[in-house]
Amino acid sequence: MREKLEEIRRRALAELADYASTDRIEEVRVRVLGRQGELTAVMRGMREVPPEQRPEIGRLVNEIKVQVEARIEVLAAAAARAALEHALTQERVDVTLPGVRSSCGRFHPLTLAGERILDILVAMGFEIVDTPDIEDDFHNFAALNFPPGHPARDMQDTFFVDAGLLLRTHTSNGQIRVLERRRPPLAVVCPGNCFRRDELTVRSSPMFSQMDVFMVDEIGRVTMAHLKGVLIEFLRAFFGPDTRVRFRASFFPFTEPSAEVDIGCLLCGGAGCRVCKQTGWTEILGSGMIHPNVLRAVGHDPESYQGFAFGLGVERMAMLKLGVDDLRLFFENDHRFLNQFPATDEGVL
Amino acid sequence: MRLPLRWLREFLEIAASPTEIADRLTMAGLEVEAIENHAPAFAGVVVARVLTVERHPNADRLSLCEVDAGPIGRFRVVCGAPNVRAGMVSAYAQVGARLKAAGHGAVEQAGGFAPQLEAAVIRGVRSEGMLCSERELGLSAEHAGILDLSNGSEPGTDLAEYLQLADTVLDVTVMPNRGDCMSIFGLARELAALFGVRVRTLSRRRAAKARDGVGHLSIAVDIRDPDLCPRYAALAMERVRIGPSPLWLQRRLELCGMRAVNNVVDATNYVMLELGQPLHAFDLRRLAGPKIVVRRAGNDREMVTLDGIARTLVADDLLICDAERPVALAGVMGGQNSEVGETTDAVLLESAYFDPVAIARTSRRLGLRSEASARFERGIDRAVQVTALWRVAELIRKYAGGRLCGQVTDVDAKPAEPRTITLDVGRMEGLLGVRVPLPEVRRRLRAIGAQVASAPGNRLYVTVPSFRGDLSEMADLAEEVARLKGLAEVPATLPPGAGRVAVEREWQRSFRCASRDLMLGCGLTEVRTISLTAAAENERFGGLDRAAPVRLQNPLSAELGEMRRSLLGGLLQALRFNLNREASAFHAFEIGRVYGLVGDAALEAERLAALTYGDYVLGRIGAPPVRADFFTLKGIVERYFEGLGLDAAVRFEPLTANEVPYLHPGKAARIVLDGRSAGVIGELHPAEARRLELAYACALCEVDLSVLMTYESSPRRAIEPPPRFPSVGRDLALVVDRGLPADQVVRAVVEAGPAWLERVELFDVYEGEPMAVGKKSVGLACRYRARDRTLTDAEVNRAHEELIARVTTRLGAELRA
Ligand SMILES: [Zn+2]
Repeated sequence: MREKLEEIRRRALAELADYASTDRIEEVRVRVLGRQGELTAVMRGMREVPPEQRPEIGRLVNEIKVQVEARIEVLAAAAARAALEHALTQERVDVTLPGVRSSCGRFHPLTLAGERILDILVAMGFEIVDTPDIEDDFHNFAALNFPPGHPARDMQDTFFVDAGLLLRTHTSNGQIRVLERRRPPLAVVCPGNCFRRDELTVRSSPMFSQMDVFMVDEIGRVTMAHLKGVLIEFLRAFFGPDTRVRFRASFFPFTEPSAEVDIGCLLCGGAGCRVCKQTGWTEILGSGMIHPNVLRAVGHDPESYQGFAFGLGVERMAMLKLGVDDLRLFFENDHRFLNQFPATDEGVL
Repeated sequence: MRLPLRWLREFLEIAASPTEIADRLTMAGLEVEAIENHAPAFAGVVVARVLTVERHPNADRLSLCEVDAGPIGRFRVVCGAPNVRAGMVSAYAQVGARLKAAGHGAVEQAGGFAPQLEAAVIRGVRSEGMLCSERELGLSAEHAGILDLSNGSEPGTDLAEYLQLADTVLDVTVMPNRGDCMSIFGLARELAALFGVRVRTLSRRRAAKARDGVGHLSIAVDIRDPDLCPRYAALAMERVRIGPSPLWLQRRLELCGMRAVNNVVDATNYVMLELGQPLHAFDLRRLAGPKIVVRRAGNDREMVTLDGIARTLVADDLLICDAERPVALAGVMGGQNSEVGETTDAVLLESAYFDPVAIARTSRRLGLRSEASARFERGIDRAVQVTALWRVAELIRKYAGGRLCGQVTDVDAKPAEPRTITLDVGRMEGLLGVRVPLPEVRRRLRAIGAQVASAPGNRLYVTVPSFRGDLSEMADLAEEVARLKGLAEVPATLPPGAGRVAVEREWQRSFRCASRDLMLGCGLTEVRTISLTAAAENERFGGLDRAAPVRLQNPLSAELGEMRRSLLGGLLQALRFNLNREASAFHAFEIGRVYGLVGDAALEAERLAALTYGDYVLGRIGAPPVRADFFTLKGIVERYFEGLGLDAAVRFEPLTANEVPYLHPGKAARIVLDGRSAGVIGELHPAEARRLELAYACALCEVDLSVLMTYESSPRRAIEPPPRFPSVGRDLALVVDRGLPADQVVRAVVEAGPAWLERVELFDVYEGEPMAVGKKSVGLACRYRARDRTLTDAEVNRAHEELIARVTTRLGAELRA
């Protein structure tokens, strides 16, 4: 019996050589250690062993079992390692193929510009108020010191609609809407769409977006100097800290004094070029001290309150910043234009 | 307003360069749009008198002329012009002259210097230079004969100088409040104030000369409507000879953008440009006597203006009439019945002040905008009427040979009081934010022509000049004070209020930003479309419930005739635009307003619309892409509501037939938020898709943001810690009627379960074998979890069996084996 066991051990270990295949290892495991295996057979035949030898034989069977199991474990680990290595040499993908993807959305450039402008203004203490696009004559014209028949109304060709209403020609109706129901101090920005009777061309559009920004407080608390301070701060935040800003006297019915604001031409840096008509300056927005008649129209005494206002065109700000010179691009929504903008609203405009 | 600097310098001695003048005007609110340099197309041409004209000995068509060029000398030239005659004054190009437009059919020189003119031998006779036509001088295309300068010019004078051809013209934008700057004199006055120099006024004596030979005709002026015409002055002249104006005068009109007509009309235009007072000349013989009546049109319905067009009048139009009938539409255009023409020999000259609003109304209504109406609308100087009459009389006397028939009739029916404003200097400084010393304030206000007197306190009485009707209160004067020095002296300061925290939360803005972010995250690109649309589009996409479309009364075109009622038309248009431009897929959204009219009130609502078309998810290479359809867009909308924290509140309910006609009736739903309709979603109706020539299904949705915005600024459920006890899952498959919406099955299961049924998820819907026709199997995964203990298998099994029993009864369903 002893010899038989030694023979089992010798044969198993010989077969479990270093490079035994996975199949061979499994075959040995089943033959030697399986339920019908050689070691089980020995244990079953123990009756035929003389009783004094039985402990000795049992110990030997166990020793062989542990020994074979250990050897199998070593070999199995090696085989698994080899198989993995083999697999890794075979499983290679072309990492340059495209990934599984859905389309990438983009912000509209007018959103990028508009949100950037609002970020700056909100940080400067202005609150945002939405106001209607369809207006009456009072809020769009009369209260803003455009008397009926005044030639200044001609500067803004108006769309009229039924019920005696019109499409606002500027967001300055926001001044009236806010001032007629609230008392100063106020610092407000009214963004929104405006409409004028212009065809859609490179330079004009029947619809465009504006923001009317105004600050009203007691006499002397908001002066023309503050208007200049806020505008310079604002324009430098948007166009860059080195932006040059100048104020030119101008005319708007709803401000007095009025000032047109220019920034140094972004294209030529002030040297003069085709875009700035050789002046080195680009017109960017209109501004001024709110006209006393505007305050009167909404029931605020111009002897007690004063304020400043400025109105900016979002398209114009975006066009200058982006170097785009065709207004139609903003409303055609050509994917080849829009796809150039990022899918984040940070750091572009 | 075009400003030729030579003309300006007649009123102003100013050393500044054109660029300096332009800069100063621009900074003071009179923006100079362009600086034009005009140069003559020739050099070395002088005025010369033709002394004798003889036949050329060798050519019938040519003449041999002796010309006198004054101090330069006398010359013999060969001339081919048919109009040459002895005594004529013309343009003589000396030997050595340069003519850019060489004429005689020669090719024009391409810039640079033309070659010098040489003495030539023409048919055997030497010609020392040449007499020139207008074309040869580059003045016009006229080439029928040599230039005729017989109207008062000295031989030997440099022609370019005489015609004032070398000049610089500034194109000045005059804002509607500055009518006083609509003239050469007005701009001179403004520049004098800006540069601190004196302006020269028209010489009284020069004007007075025109009073020679005054006759005894007196003109009666009857102003019936002084509210529209407070002042009317008239003057008559006879023995007028109509003809062309001198070339220099024509040239000045042309530089100012006006066309020369004849010496009388040109004289009125010249004075208008010079002094800003529009003038009109009537043919005196065609008037019914020397009488002018100024009145409203009243019952007069029509009059023919001098362009030959019959104009329909309204009662408030202001008319100029003679004793019998209307002869002019006041301030806008003269009548044909009294027009000055070639046979005119006597004129009545009008110089009046008309109400700006009345003129603006009439000229706008008739679409008749003229240089005159532009000035009346802005408001002219209330004091210049008579000066202008004398000035035009002088010009007519000089260049059209007219003689006065009598004195000026000047009716000032409503004399204007000078306006005095009390200026609180401290208040002005409070507006501007800068201190200006009192003497400086006085100096600047005097510079613009105001009279300034001291008033008690830190105040001034400021009497504004007659030509500055735009100055009416403190703020106006503050602007003048700031403007004259340029706004650069106002310092830039940040207001004390800046930096304060905005009072209202920007909820609406955050909401829009969140909506955009979520849409972008789903792969949709933001678009902006114009909110004007065609009536047909509005009809197609319906709109705000019960609201009528907002119609434009003066649209640019029918295509842009109404305010949109839906964002979908614009999105589909953008889709089509891109498909025409190499796009094969398009996934876009827009946030914007839609409009309607309820009675007399306008309604504006904010919406979000989205569209997906074509490949939406591109799988790995070799695997098919996911193409956009109802379910891809529904996934986007579900993700949107989940992102907003509203997923528990939203349901998709099938539409009733034709409820939304532009959507596919079987692939469309209403989006319902807590029982309220919040929008629609679906695939575009196949008929619409065909109309737009779309190859694939196009999924659309439109959500009413005003409904969404009614939720709290951050709609969120209470935050709970992650569960501490494990969950137990049990699946079930129910066989139900095919038409039963899956979400009703899910809801029934939820209702049938115990409180600790945490979640029910649908994972499969199957129709076909072995199910009976008209049935489907719905596979659901139920997840049970108690918050306070680990569930035992036994209690889960019992609860799940009870759930099955209840739900099968409730839905008439069977459990699938
Ligand atoms: Zn430039």
